[in-house]
Amino acid sequence: MTFRSKPFILVFFLTTSGHLFGLSKEEILRKGKELYNGAGSCVACHMPDGMGQKGTIPPLAGSDWLKGGSARSIAISLRGLAGPIKVNGKQFYSAMPPQLLFDDQKLAYILSYVNNAWGNKEPIIDKEQVAQARKELPQDVFTPESLLKRFPFDKKYNRKNGTFTPTYDDMVSEITDPIIYRTFMPGASPAAFAVALPGNHYFCWDAGECRLRYVWTKGGFIRANQNHWSSNGKPVAQFNGVPYYRARTTQLNDQTFDELSRTNNQKPIYDTSEATDFPITLKGTREVPTYLGYRLVNGFPKFRYSLGKYVITELIRHNANKSGIQRTFTVSPTVQTTLHLTPTSQSTVSSNRGNLSPDGTLLITAEESNEFSVLIQPREEAN
Amino acid sequence: MKFIFCYLLLACIVFSETAPQYSVIDIPPPPTKFKNIQIDGLTFLPNGKLVVCLPSGEIFFRDNKGEKWELFAEGLHNPLGVLALSNSELIVTQRPELTRIRDLDGDGKADDYEVVTDQFGMSGNYHEFNFTPVRDTQGNYFFALGTGSSGDGVRSITRGTFNEKGRPGRMHSSAPYRGCIMKFTPDGKTIPYSYGHRTPNGLGFDLKGNLFVTDNQGDWVGSSKLFHVQQDRFYGHAASLAWKPGFNEVPIDSPVEKLAKLRTRACVVFPHGTMANSPTEVLAISKNANFGPFTGQLLVGEMNKPRIVRVMLENVDGELQGACVPFIDGSPLGRGCNRMAWAPDGSLFVGQTKHTWAGGQGIQQVSWNGKMPFEIQKMELTEDGFQFTFTQPVNREKAQKKETWPFFRYFFEYRKAYGSPRSAEEKVEVNNIHISKNAKVVKIRLTELKPWHIHEVNIQELTSQNGHTLSNNYIAYTLNRLLKNTPPEPLQIKKPKK
Repeated sequence: MTFRSKPFILVFFLTTSGHLFGLSKEEILRKGKELYNGAGSCVACHMPDGMGQKGTIPPLAGSDWLKGGSARSIAISLRGLAGPIKVNGKQFYSAMPPQLLFDDQKLAYILSYVNNAWGNKEPIIDKEQVAQARKELPQDVFTPESLLKRFPFDKKYNRKNGTFTPTYDDMVSEITDPIIYRTFMPGASPAAFAVALPGNHYFCWDAGECRLRYVWTKGGFIRANQNHWSSNGKPVAQFNGVPYYRARTTQLNDQTFDELSRTNNQKPIYDTSEATDFPITLKGTREVPTYLGYRLVNGFPKFRYSLGKYVITELIRHNANKSGIQRTFTVSPTVQTTLHLTPTSQSTVSSNRGNLSPDGTLLITAEESNEFSVLIQPREEAN
Repeated sequence: MKFIFCYLLLACIVFSETAPQYSVIDIPPPPTKFKNIQIDGLTFLPNGKLVVCLPSGEIFFRDNKGEKWELFAEGLHNPLGVLALSNSELIVTQRPELTRIRDLDGDGKADDYEVVTDQFGMSGNYHEFNFTPVRDTQGNYFFALGTGSSGDGVRSITRGTFNEKGRPGRMHSSAPYRGCIMKFTPDGKTIPYSYGHRTPNGLGFDLKGNLFVTDNQGDWVGSSKLFHVQQDRFYGHAASLAWKPGFNEVPIDSPVEKLAKLRTRACVVFPHGTMANSPTEVLAISKNANFGPFTGQLLVGEMNKPRIVRVMLENVDGELQGACVPFIDGSPLGRGCNRMAWAPDGSLFVGQTKHTWAGGQGIQQVSWNGKMPFEIQKMELTEDGFQFTFTQPVNREKAQKKETWPFFRYFFEYRKAYGSPRSAEEKVEVNNIHISKNAKVVKIRLTELKPWHIHEVNIQELTSQNGHTLSNNYIAYTLNRLLKNTPPEPLQIKKPKK
C-alpha cells in the first residue's frame, strides 16, 4: 500500500508580461482575476467563488490564513505547502504545489485579487514583495509547522493552531495498490468494507449482507480524520464524493449518506436477518447468503460467501484502463445464476457473459457461472 | 459512623510499589502509519516473535532481535485480541468476527482472512467491543462481547435479529448476545456460553483450565470484578438476559430481587478506587514464566492506574474465591495495561491502550531479576480468619502487633445504578496472631468472619527479617463462602427509587 502524490499539472494562458507601473487598484484586481480564473490555474482547485473543496482544498474567501498575512500568502504560493491545516476551524489535508510558472508581477496580481475578492479586505501586493521573498525564502516546500514558525498568526486574530495531527494520512493521492479497511460505512451494516483501487475507484462492500453497496471515484477515499483509528471506534467513515453506482435495495428509501451515517437511532431501519433483496439468485435455492471471508489476489479482495450448498467468490479489481471496477464472480458448483444489477444515469454496467437486460438483470447459464465478470464504469469516464 | 471509618482508612498507610526485583522497560513501538501506538492485542508466535494488534487494524510482528517490525496484516476493524496458532496463522477478535488470518504463500504477509464465526450481532454502537479470543485444550474458542452504550444509539442497519427487550438501559444488548461470553465449538456451533457481562475486556484460563473474565464497574456492576465463567450462568449485568432462553421479560424492568437471585457472584471483586477501576486481560502465571514464586496465580491488567494486579484463588465450599493485590505498580509502568503475554525468556510483555478512556499507549517489558521480592505470596481463608504466606520471613515483632493488621469489611450493592458505594463498612478486630516457625506464615484470627463481604487490609509497616519493606501491602479478599456452614447468600440489592 503506497501513496504517490499526484503530479500537479498547471496549464495557463501566457499573456504578455506587463511590468506596468501605476495601474489603478481596479486594473490590478482585474488582471489578478483573469489570471486566477485561467484554465488550470488557481480556480481549478480553489473554485471561482474561492470556497475551495471540503476536506482537501481550503477556502480563500474569508480565510483566516489571509488576515494580516501577505508575507505568508506569498511564501505559500512561491514554495508550496503540504500537510494538515486548519482554516476557519475546518480541517484540510492536501498539498499546494509551488506556483513556479508565474513571475513576480503575475503572482502579485493574483495575490492582490485573492486579498480583495469575495469580501476579503487585505492589502494590494506589489511585485517587489514577491521578488524579495523569492530571493530570501528557503527552497523547501513548507510544512504547516515550518510556515507558521516563520509567519505566525497575528495575536490579534486569536488563532492558536493552524495545523492538526491527522490520524490517517489521506492526502490527495493516486492509489497505486489496493487499500482494504474494515470500518463503519454509511449505508451498510456495521460489518462493512471500504476499499480503494488503482484508478481511484472506491467501493463499500457489506459483509453483513454479502453485497456491493456503492462505488465512487471523486472526492477521495474515506476521510478517516474523524479519529476512527485513535478513538473509541464510534465514527462512521465519511467520503466526499457522490457514488456513481449504488446497488438497488428495496429496504432503504432515499436516505442520504449523512442520514445513514447516524449512530444514535433508537431502532434500525431494518436488521440483516430481515434483509430480503440479495442481488444474486441461484436456481433452486432460496437460502440467505453466509459470509465466509476474503482472500487477497495480488492485493485485491476476493470475497467468499455461500448460498446453501453453493460457494460464490467475487474478486473486485479495476479494469485494464482503470476506468471502472470489474467484479469477477465464480459459482461452485455451477448453476444457473441471476445477478440483479442497478444501471443508473451515472454509470454503465456491462458483462462478458450472459444476457444483460436494460433493467440490470443479468442471466448467466450454469456453464457460464464457472466464471463471469461485470464491469461498472462512471459515464463521464467511460467515453 | 461513616466519617469515622473514612478517618480510620486515611490513617492507614497504603504502600504499594513494584518490588525492586522487577524492572520495567519500554519497547520501541511498531511503525504504524496511523500515528497511534495503542496495543489492543499482544501475543508471541511459536518462533518467539512478538505480535501486536493496533486500533488502526494493523498487526505487526517483531523479530527476535527486537530490531525490526514486519507488517503482517492490516485493515481489521478494531482487533481486540490475538492468538497465534502457528507462525503464519492467527486468530483475531475484530468487531464483526472471530477471524482466522493466514499467510498462505509464505511471503510473510497475510493473504487470507477467513470467518471463524460471525454468528453474533452488531448494532453498530461503538461500545460493542469484541474481546480476546482464547482456546481451550479441546479446541473450543471463547470470546467476549461488550454491550452497547447509552452514550450512543444504534446504526440504520444492524446485524442479527434486533431485540427491543435488550435495548433500554444504560448499557444495552439489542443485537444478539451482546454481554455474553461466546463459545465456538470444533464442530462449528456458536453459542452464548454465559450471560450478564457488561464490558468483559479480557478472558483467560488458569493453569487448571478454569475460564475467567473481568468486568468493568458501571450499571449492575458495583465495583469491577473477576468471574469464573461457567456455562449458562448469569453474572449480573441485566441486558444480555434478553437472549437467555426462558427469560421473557425486559431485563432491566425485572425486579432486582429476581436478578440478584439469578446471579453468580464474582470470585474476586476489585475494590473501586483502591484496587482497579477498569480491569483488563487475565493471564495465568505459567510454569514458563520467570516471574517469582507465584506460579498458578493470575495477573490482571488495569487501565486507569499504572498497575498490574495479582490474583490468588482457592476453592472454598465448591466455588472459587480469593484475594487481589497490586503487584507491578506505579511508574515506570504505564497506564492502560490492556494485553499481556509471556515472552520466550519468561518475562512479561504488556501492551497499553486507552480508546478515549483513562489509559496509555505503548509496549513495555517487565522482567524479574531472580532474587526473592518481599511480597504476600498468598492469602487463604481459615475457619476464623486468614492465613498469609510471605515470600520471606517476617519481622516477628512487627507482625505480632494487632495494629499491623487493620482489617475492614464491606460489600458493594447490586443495583441498576452506576457503581456502588462501599456498604456497611466496618473495622474488623483482630483476635489473635500466630507466626509460624519459619516466620513466613502468619495466621490472623478475626473476632468475626462475615461471608458475602470483601475483607481488606493495609498491612502496616511490616518488614522482613532482613529489614525490607513489604512491597505491596494492600490486599482485598472477596469472602463469599466460609469453609463450612456458609449462610444463604444475602441479596445486597439497592431497589431503584420509584
